[in-house]
Amino acid sequence: MTLAHERTTQFLEGTRRQQRSIVTPEGVPVTVELADHGERLTAFIIDFVIWTLLTLLAYLPLLFMVVRRDAALLAMSVVLFVGFVVRNLYFIHFELAWRGATPGKRLVGLRVIDRRGGPLLPSAVVARNLTREVECFIPLGILLSWGAAKQGTPNWEHLFIAIWLLFFAALPFVNRDRMRGGDLIGGTMVIALPRRVLSGDLVERVAQYVFSEPQLRAYGAFELQVLEELLRRPKSLETTRVLDEVRDKICHKIGWTAPVPPGDTELFLREFYTAQRAFLEREQLYGKPRADKYGGAAPAA
Amino acid sequence: MSTLLASDTPIPPAALAARTELVLKSSEFRKGREASWHDLEALVGRVERKGARALSLDELQRLPILYRAALSSLSVARTIALDRNLLLYLENLALRAFLCVYGPRVDLRDGISTFFARDLPAAVRAARWHVFIAALCLFVGIAAGFLLAVQDESWVSTLVPSGLAGGRGPASTRADLYNKEIFAPWPGFAASFGVFANVLFSHNTAVGLLAFGLGLAAGVPTVMLMVYQGLTIGAFVALHYNRDLTVDFLGWLSIHGVTELTAIVLFAAAGLVVAEKLLFPGRYSRIESLAMHGRQAGYIAVGGILMLFVAALLEGGCRQLVASTPGRFAIGLATGILWFAYFRYAGREPRR
Repeated sequence: MTLAHERTTQFLEGTRRQQRSIVTPEGVPVTVELADHGERLTAFIIDFVIWTLLTLLAYLPLLFMVVRRDAALLAMSVVLFVGFVVRNLYFIHFELAWRGATPGKRLVGLRVIDRRGGPLLPSAVVARNLTREVECFIPLGILLSWGAAKQGTPNWEHLFIAIWLLFFAALPFVNRDRMRGGDLIGGTMVIALPRRVLSGDLVERVAQYVFSEPQLRAYGAFELQVLEELLRRPKSLETTRVLDEVRDKICHKIGWTAPVPPGDTELFLREFYTAQRAFLEREQLYGKPRADKYGGAAPAA
Repeated sequence: MSTLLASDTPIPPAALAARTELVLKSSEFRKGREASWHDLEALVGRVERKGARALSLDELQRLPILYRAALSSLSVARTIALDRNLLLYLENLALRAFLCVYGPRVDLRDGISTFFARDLPAAVRAARWHVFIAALCLFVGIAAGFLLAVQDESWVSTLVPSGLAGGRGPASTRADLYNKEIFAPWPGFAASFGVFANVLFSHNTAVGLLAFGLGLAAGVPTVMLMVYQGLTIGAFVALHYNRDLTVDFLGWLSIHGVTELTAIVLFAAAGLVVAEKLLFPGRYSRIESLAMHGRQAGYIAVGGILMLFVAALLEGGCRQLVASTPGRFAIGLATGILWFAYFRYAGREPRR
């Protein structure tokens, strides 16, 4: 929530996810990360494969009808109808039973939530999924059946249906919250929900190296969190090399003249981190937050 | 909170001489609560994997308490901690727990039955003026089409597209219409349910979506489309009126027409809802206003699709099976009463 850790994320990962804030019924704002278009497409394709397989299972008893010529057309209708039912029950069932996730969404790590932070209502789930029919599948089916039947030249109805499909396909790209038609109508949005783990605290309680206040003033929250990220990296030759460089830079910046033994680099940095964090947290509590080394005031959380 | 902020433990006198001891409030805070976070994380993980049923009664009672504790931890951490990993973890944990605690508590059956028993009829009732206007446009169209075509039958070929007319027109004789249209033999199970119902459904849905979608253009095209639909029907009625087939034709039409026209009117009403919210957004921005009332319009459109499905089955499958005019009227009337009762009374709160 603080600007500092978003900035750190952007600095370290190169990109920053689009974020929105929802307010829980308890009145606490919680940050959510919007799902990418690619993630949503992946989730949809996974769901598509699963439900198509399910539908195929339901079709097996119909095969004998296709063999009999005259019943083939009737079989086609039943197939379309069964497809319609399976598809909708699949999405609605999982989004209700798994709290806003279908198997595809779960694999990709996505969730459907209420846009305003309220509970996800069953009516919203039903609405967002039935709308999928209106915005996509039924028009698509009509267009395909016309194409298959070769009913004369394309007319204004074809054109309208094509525009309709294009409009709804483009919708998630043109609104801020990446909502498709169903999300707009159901009042929902799709978020990415990765699982995060709590790593150990980096704080060293007993300090060997003592830093003075002017030395600690050299940096702010942003640098502190970048240092934290470096210290949390798994040990490797590369990490050691980076940490050595960082140690030299810090020593230069704060004017640290006492020698740091080569094997002690990590300990030194951890202690500097601890002292720096203790200092910055105290300053923040006293109402003097430091966002970065330029001393800009960090906005309150 | 106050104890937390005052929790600077006094430095033990036995502290190592050469070393200083640092006490971080955020670190102490974390130590005090870490166990309850892990507890919550374990519960949430189980709910995410196996559903709320996986928890015992005791755990179910603990879940919301731990969730609120985690929310308060998050609020505190935001003000006192600069540990990025901790902040990200708490944000994530609070959100996951929030989704567990406030997740939908109904299953598929309840969800669907709520939609049909309450949401859909309530949405239609709330749009009763839009339904009324759409129906009025249709009737104006029917009346105009009838009056035009009853005097000059060339209007029929002007108003009705050839695909829809299916060979019917000023040249048709009474016997043609009677034998090939109204009391045409049943084409068989496969043809009527398979081909005919599909084609009808596609055509009607396209018209319905058109009426709904054009609501975005301030509703003017929606109104025009409704009038035009009325004109074609009126022209057909006139064609049969001139050949003394009015009653039989209306019977033929009513068996599916009641459902089909109601559905088309509902689509148009949904389009008019969209148009109204765009034109008169009140105190909200147009997009906000649309998003707020979109659900209502969407519900109505979904209801329209399902009604068209029923209509296609009635028209494709049953119309030619019931080969008597009173029988057709009976079915048409029954569907009309059913739809009316459903939209008027289903899911109503009892009056106080």
